[in-house]
Amino acid sequence: MIFGLFDNDYDEDGFRTCGVTGMEIHRTAENHVKVFGLTAVVALLVGGFFSIGVSMTRWELVGLLGSESFYKWLSLHAWNLLIFWMVFMEIAILYVGGPMVLGRRLPITKVAKLGWGTMVTGALVINYAIWTTSAPDQAPLLTSYAPLPSSPYFYAGAIVFILGSVLAALPFFVTLWQEKKWGEGGSLPLVTFGAFATAIIAVEALVGGLIAFVYAFLWRIEFLGSIDAALYRQLFWTIGHGSQQINLVAMVTVWYFLTHVVGGAEVVSEKVSRTAFVFYVFFINLGAAHHLLSDPVVSSGWRIWNASYAFYGATFASLIHAFAIPAGIEAGRRKRGQGGGLFGWLTNAPWSNPVFSATVFSIILFGFVGGITGVVMGQLQLNMTWSRTLATVGHFHGTVALGTTIAFMGLVYFVIRTMFMRDLAFGRLASAQPFLYAGTMTFATLMLMYMGLLYSVPRRIHSVVREIPGSDFSLSAAEPLMMIFGVFALLAIVSGAAFLIVALASLLLGERKVPGADLVPDGGVNFESDEPVHKFEMRGTFVITLIFLAAFLAVYIANWYFLSRLWEIGP
Amino acid sequence: MGSPIKPPDEENWWDVPVNRRESIWLGLSAIFSVGIFGWMSAWTRIGDQNPIGETYEISTEEFQEKVEGYMDEAERLDGAIVPPGDDVYVAGIRFQWRGLPVVVETGKTYRFHLGSYDVQHGFSIRPEDVLSQHTNLAVLPGYEWVIEMEFDEPGTYHVICNEFCGVGHSSMHGRIEVREEVNV
Repeated sequence: MIFGLFDNDYDEDGFRTCGVTGMEIHRTAENHVKVFGLTAVVALLVGGFFSIGVSMTRWELVGLLGSESFYKWLSLHAWNLLIFWMVFMEIAILYVGGPMVLGRRLPITKVAKLGWGTMVTGALVINYAIWTTSAPDQAPLLTSYAPLPSSPYFYAGAIVFILGSVLAALPFFVTLWQEKKWGEGGSLPLVTFGAFATAIIAVEALVGGLIAFVYAFLWRIEFLGSIDAALYRQLFWTIGHGSQQINLVAMVTVWYFLTHVVGGAEVVSEKVSRTAFVFYVFFINLGAAHHLLSDPVVSSGWRIWNASYAFYGATFASLIHAFAIPAGIEAGRRKRGQGGGLFGWLTNAPWSNPVFSATVFSIILFGFVGGITGVVMGQLQLNMTWSRTLATVGHFHGTVALGTTIAFMGLVYFVIRTMFMRDLAFGRLASAQPFLYAGTMTFATLMLMYMGLLYSVPRRIHSVVREIPGSDFSLSAAEPLMMIFGVFALLAIVSGAAFLIVALASLLLGERKVPGADLVPDGGVNFESDEPVHKFEMRGTFVITLIFLAAFLAVYIANWYFLSRLWEIGP
Repeated sequence: MGSPIKPPDEENWWDVPVNRRESIWLGLSAIFSVGIFGWMSAWTRIGDQNPIGETYEISTEEFQEKVEGYMDEAERLDGAIVPPGDDVYVAGIRFQWRGLPVVVETGKTYRFHLGSYDVQHGFSIRPEDVLSQHTNLAVLPGYEWVIEMEFDEPGTYHVICNEFCGVGHSSMHGRIEVREEVNV
């Protein structure tokens, strides 16, 4: 049965033409995308399972786990979702954006396989190390902040996983090199360009991570006598935040790809969108400094310069995509005669297709929830009121759950239909799943933010709302919000499970079905028209982005107001 | 056709005009980006809340001596430390805050010396009655961070450790008592 998942028909040279995208797909590229994608889904299953213990412990009414287990579950939740689910998907995205889009075979497949095996080994070792943590070691959470020791196997696993990721990314770089050497010349497709930007940012992050974990490993095995806590923080965040920037850039690339193939979107300006990716390459990794804003040691000038991505160069790039992608949908659909008033292009879009709905929810929620809060909490002074509270957890559920995870869920649905060629099981549930997950997770995320900002509830803590052990004081004022959070967290877990059920049932039991009209936008993917795309109306998008900017300003001003109410801190 | 999975239609795609509304958006975005940079930067000069202060490298032993010496020297009021001068020492050690509870006066600028005897901690303060007013600063072993604070409202301010420091982390709590006058 498992091998039945790899039996598409290819011509003598190993190619087939995709009925949806028109891409020439080679067997090697397709099979590796499938393997990395499936592995990512397994990581989602594991990490999603651990979210039960995390949320149901923080919801102190339930209080599922004891202190020691809680921190282990939290660590496993973080590593499986934030790292393994994302990075396996991102390697698959590199193989889609590189060889598939360019119509090439995947080069050096042995290296790709070795990379996969190494990554899986690293992931297993990390899971084992966290699960078997015992004193004096502590659960690492995501960061393993030295000098709090974690299991030596944990650092070793991290090093192995990072090396595996670098290996797995190599075939992508070789593909681009081949394309430039033997291809027809000219510019790369935008999706390939975005994947290239992702890969550059990834290598920076991975090299930084390698240094951080080798340093910590050598200290942990007592080769080095001591470790500098501040230096470790700075090194760790090159990968800690850098990996999240990989998620972001990969997600934006997926947005361009999926809005086009299932929504009929077009690139309204190659110049503008490509410039935005170049801005990411230059500036986005500076954002790692966000994690050192409320820290000693680093100077204020260093913090302001880096955390602002050099005058907000990366924020500017994201604002560009925030317009360009919906505008692509709007102009593309107007061109196909699917306009109709200000928002007709959006309301009459294929919302019952989960690939489309997931992509659009990801765009909207990443922007409004994850993006705005990220910039706000990334300001030097505002960071003091966000840092290490549940509001931070709210922020990154806005980015990686509401943004990246929903986009990747859409991509998995797409891969199931177009590469595995399986009908989506439980059709209605599949159509509803992005709505359910987006809705419930948004509520859970907002509650996290409110609890953090309005009631100062810390993150990474076993219990603090109902009772602080050994103290009369507690943060029980946050209890009502915690109740709402608990319910919506449960619903979000159920909605996430619905994704896994649909995906796995489709793969294992679904009928083979050649993808066709159910995925293709009105008028087909390659709809031709004489009118250039930039001449179509983009007023609906303009209104949406103005609303976005207004929301941004409102959140920004509210946060500064809260800050200004504080007592005097600093010179 | 502007497909993202094909090379651009126009060879000279750089010269293709940009839609007017997209151009306006680019302008707004640029103004916004520079604007929030400017505000953040200006607040370090005109604002009263900035996580800025001198950092000193210091060994754990030296810092411990300083803090314990300060505690020995200081008088007590209702079980809380009364700082002899303008300096207040607070050190994290799993799972308590050395130097807390401390009693301080409103309207007086104190230099808080933050550090740790063992691992990283999070120094998170909020007044008992207004939980939305809180601040969170990192505390690192090997470093002494001197950061000024001046409280204007009297009351009990609770300090919680909000960086994971081990399994007993959630019990790490201390107090800052802010009074209009401190008479020993």
